[in-house]
Amino acid sequence: MRNKPKWLALFLVLGLVLAACGGGEGGDTTTTAAAEEEATTTAAAEEEPTTTAAAEEEPAEIATDVGVDLEAGTITIGLLSDLSGPFSPLVQIINTGHDLYWASVNEAGGVNGLNVELEVRDTGYVVDTHVQLYEELKSQVVAFGHSTGSPHTVAINSSLQADGILAIPLTWYSGWSDPAINSNLVPHGVPYCIEAMNMIEYLTTQAPEATTIAIASSPGDYGQDSNAGAVMVAEALGLEVVYDGTGTIVATDPATLAEAANGIAGSGAELVWVTTDPTSFGGVYGQALAAGFSGALWSGAGPSWNPALIGPDSPIAEPLANDFYISQYYAPWAADSPGNQMVRDLVEAAGAPPLDYYAEGVIEAKIMHEALLAAYEAGDMTQTGVLNAAKSLESVTFDGLAPDETYVGEANDRLQRLQFISRPDLEGLAGGTSTGATLVESDYTSPTAAAFQFDAACFALEAG
Amino acid sequence: MTIGLVVLAQATADGNAFAQMLVDGISFGAIYALLAMGFVIIFKSTSVINFAHGALTGLGAFLIAAFATVLDFPGRYLTFLPEWAQWTVNVLTALVAAALFGILLERVFLRPMVGEALFAVAIVTLGVDIVVRTITNDWIGTQPRPLGAPWGLEVVDLGWVRIAWSEVIQILVTIILLGAIAFFLRSRTGVAMRATAFDQETARAQGVNVGRIFSVAWAIAAFLAGVAGLFYSIFPRRATGVDQATAFIAFRAFPAVIIGGLDSIPGAVVGGFAVGIAESAANTYLTFEFLGNGFPGIVGYLLMMVVLLIRPYGLLGTPEIRRV
Amino acid sequence: MRGRPLLYTTYEADQALLNTTTKKVMLGLLLVVLATIPFQVVPGLDFLGSDDWLRLLSTTAIFVVGALGLNLLTGLAGQVSLGHAFFMGVGAYTAVWLGGPEDGPLLGLGLPIWIWLPAAGIVAALIGVAVGPTAVRVRGLYLAIVTLGLVFIGDYVFRNWDSLSGGAQVGRDFPPLQFRLWKEEEPLIDFTTPGTWFGVEVSGLAKSFFLLIAIAALFTLLAKNLQRTRVGRAFMSIRDRDIAAEIMGVDEFGYKLLAFGISSFFAGISGALLASFVVRVIPERWDLFLSVQFIAIILIGGAGTVTGAILGSAFVVLLPRLVGDFTQWLQSVALGDGFGSAIANVFVATTPNDFGLVNTFAGIGPGLSVAQLNLVIYGLLIIGFLIFEPLGLYGIWLRIRNYWKGWPFTY
Repeated sequence: MRNKPKWLALFLVLGLVLAACGGGEGGDTTTTAAAEEEATTTAAAEEEPTTTAAAEEEPAEIATDVGVDLEAGTITIGLLSDLSGPFSPLVQIINTGHDLYWASVNEAGGVNGLNVELEVRDTGYVVDTHVQLYEELKSQVVAFGHSTGSPHTVAINSSLQADGILAIPLTWYSGWSDPAINSNLVPHGVPYCIEAMNMIEYLTTQAPEATTIAIASSPGDYGQDSNAGAVMVAEALGLEVVYDGTGTIVATDPATLAEAANGIAGSGAELVWVTTDPTSFGGVYGQALAAGFSGALWSGAGPSWNPALIGPDSPIAEPLANDFYISQYYAPWAADSPGNQMVRDLVEAAGAPPLDYYAEGVIEAKIMHEALLAAYEAGDMTQTGVLNAAKSLESVTFDGLAPDETYVGEANDRLQRLQFISRPDLEGLAGGTSTGATLVESDYTSPTAAAFQFDAACFALEAG
Repeated sequence: MTIGLVVLAQATADGNAFAQMLVDGISFGAIYALLAMGFVIIFKSTSVINFAHGALTGLGAFLIAAFATVLDFPGRYLTFLPEWAQWTVNVLTALVAAALFGILLERVFLRPMVGEALFAVAIVTLGVDIVVRTITNDWIGTQPRPLGAPWGLEVVDLGWVRIAWSEVIQILVTIILLGAIAFFLRSRTGVAMRATAFDQETARAQGVNVGRIFSVAWAIAAFLAGVAGLFYSIFPRRATGVDQATAFIAFRAFPAVIIGGLDSIPGAVVGGFAVGIAESAANTYLTFEFLGNGFPGIVGYLLMMVVLLIRPYGLLGTPEIRRV
Repeated sequence: MRGRPLLYTTYEADQALLNTTTKKVMLGLLLVVLATIPFQVVPGLDFLGSDDWLRLLSTTAIFVVGALGLNLLTGLAGQVSLGHAFFMGVGAYTAVWLGGPEDGPLLGLGLPIWIWLPAAGIVAALIGVAVGPTAVRVRGLYLAIVTLGLVFIGDYVFRNWDSLSGGAQVGRDFPPLQFRLWKEEEPLIDFTTPGTWFGVEVSGLAKSFFLLIAIAALFTLLAKNLQRTRVGRAFMSIRDRDIAAEIMGVDEFGYKLLAFGISSFFAGISGALLASFVVRVIPERWDLFLSVQFIAIILIGGAGTVTGAILGSAFVVLLPRLVGDFTQWLQSVALGDGFGSAIANVFVATTPNDFGLVNTFAGIGPGLSVAQLNLVIYGLLIIGFLIFEPLGLYGIWLRIRNYWKGWPFTY
């Protein structure tokens, strides 16, 4: 009698876990499994001729050390991803972008006949875990396809330099453009600080009579870098910062949302810049509305936006669609460009739902792809060889998906200043034709951002 | 002291702001009160400190999102009802599902622990919290899930104070649930529950089905947590719905429980509103630069420490009588 | 008297730390293995000498120190504390204030490790004793929530004290594991860079591994000894029945306060070492999950035992790695062919819409991600150990030991 509940416990555990598997939109098990098997076999079949072709023309003069195995024909790339921490919702999608991109590359013959494999590790957005997993992967991978989080990337930066390994930071911190710290990093996309300059100046073109702005953000390099840019552009344009809630918003703390919302509503600002996560943004916006605040133009750094904010059941959808300008580091899902078409094809072929963040994964993978090709060209596919190849890439182009990147020249010239601006698209989202964003400006840069002279990060992270 | 004077001066200077602060505090306090009541009911009848309350909140809110918007069940078969009634039926179904889940959790993970050391049981609930929260997060997925409340963005503007319709309804629902529970505790089952809380073995000797009491307690707690999760996840709190951070709200309700006293249901309500109003007051008046960010978030815990220094068993809790 | 187990003729022998020959041999073997790990000479264990495993083992050693502290408070004195992470944070920030660079933009005095490391423990202990009166006044489960409050209040202070912590989500670099006599440029012993010790090449990680293992061993000895003194027995009497203890003349208030102080001392040292070892730490590191991890260590290892604290630390630190390796293995099996693949396919999903227990396809499809599986296993282990094996890993070890004690006889 006493023991019975204990066995029940085991049963429930099994039940829970099985339920978890069925929790998503799991389709027909047998067909997908079969289809998948088919896909792998065809991939293998297609890949064979290219491998032999490559083997014929390519003599064994390519230098390798870690992560590239010419005999097995594989290249291994590491991903230090936050898959269980606060940014896991975004990073999971980004990783899918990586997966899909490399799967298609491998299917088409790989990188000069070499198949790319990913080693993904979950850092949970904890710095020590990040460092730990870096140590684990550094002896397995040729380079890091991304490293999530700014303090986290700073923590492994000295090791990257000592070990001569390349990493793509998965944060848009302005410091990554600083040659003092980016010797082993290749940034991409417009940094938060420049993004704020672009967006706020763009907002003033939409509301020319505006003279006041309220800003609020999450703490850390993300919110603080962004708001440093906001303060700079406000000064340049003569806007008065009537509320500054930089670093106020903490996603898990509801009182901080109320604090930011009250501050914004109480300031009566005509422009609002909020840099945080989407749910917190929804909370701040909703509470400001509840406090009777309306009529201002709103925007925020890229990760503040999520189409769920204007989803069919979202109460703030209508007003937000009127007030909000979406800032993006790459063109939205539905944009008309070859790069976007490629992403859509990849995602639809895999049967995954349409989302914007795949693009980020594809962009990172594309940079890595170019670096690998250049390293192969140079005959040096060691970790340092790939690093050097990446740092001497003159132009990486994404076919309209994102602005071109360059990694040679002066820091100020290399700094990415171009970005995309979209408006919320209620009909498109409801009709399934877009991810809720209609592109209004591509490759946009504001005069303030263009005139900005970069010599150090807008917000210092290196203190200590 | 000086801070207090400044606050007082501000408060008297602007009566409208003070009224708004009170209304905001009461409406948030109602969420804390709902959470605290569930917590206390579990403690009163099973002597378990339930650290899995956050997971129950997240799960309840997710189930509501699933039943009310994704599945639209059973509302889709009740087309003769107006839309808001369909939604209400969906929500009630989801809450019943949450309550059943609460029963299941108790039956499976906590029943085997009956008679074990209290702290060991509390730690089991920490484990349950991790498991349930992780699986719920997997279900919730990468995007916030809206709950589809029919009140939308409607706000009552009285001129001197503004309050969202959802908040009005939330306060009404809290009062109704509070009354229902007070009434329930006087019913036959309620008396049995109180007897169980007092002494499990004696209650059993009197013919009380102790196991059933445990189930009922967890069902009520999961139900209340679901209601709290609902009102926390809609306009104006988190307009976009339930997401992976929703479950953390329960940690804000712990001080409410302790302030009121672990075993007092009126105490839970008093504590809930006290924490809600204290946070709101800190938000409105304690806006000093040196306090930095997030001070309102710990006001509840500070208040708790103060209360415990004066009354170690909370305002309305029963002192533990220590006998040799 | 030789050959007769458990027969002691003196109290000294009975109370000795290593009261059997087996224990002496085992400890000796363990020390030899630990000493040779970084040189990768023991076949079969050579993988432990790689950088990532050295890092895991070093982290384990740091966790052992913290776990021993919580074990004294929770396992021995019976006071449930969820505030361990707070005291670790206090230790870490004391260390960085004293040991951080003098001329940097943040607080720092540039003092050497022999000042900042003990000070980290002492300041944490003082704060432990300072909050003690509130904590000691409340009993049992109220205490759990009061200490929970400490974590949240600490989190607020750490996040906002920019000049000390570097600021929320930003953090700062902590003083490295380098031994200096005073503030000289070149450290006397640098545990972070490779070098030669007694004519043998050792990497930086190997050096810090040796240092951390030595510190962990020192604290293990300390904890073990504390348990068999008057203080340790007083703690246990309070745990078992506080009123009875008081009647026997044990000063309940004083000993509870002492337990808080000692436990916080261990936590402070552990926090300072952790931060120093990781180098860069953000203030959000000292959160509730860290406290829960330590509670889990105590329970999984076996509450109230020193061996349990060590086994539990190893288990909790290494678990994520093992689960990760396991799912990778499953994935490779699933992608292969044959019967094994069919079975593995049930458990892992390799494409977005595949059905499986674990989704290795980076996680947007159904099924748990590897990270989520990790957390679920973690939670289930806490529950499972409490329900099925309240003595934890130590209990399992005890049963194995007792089985072999009488072998080949069952009794």
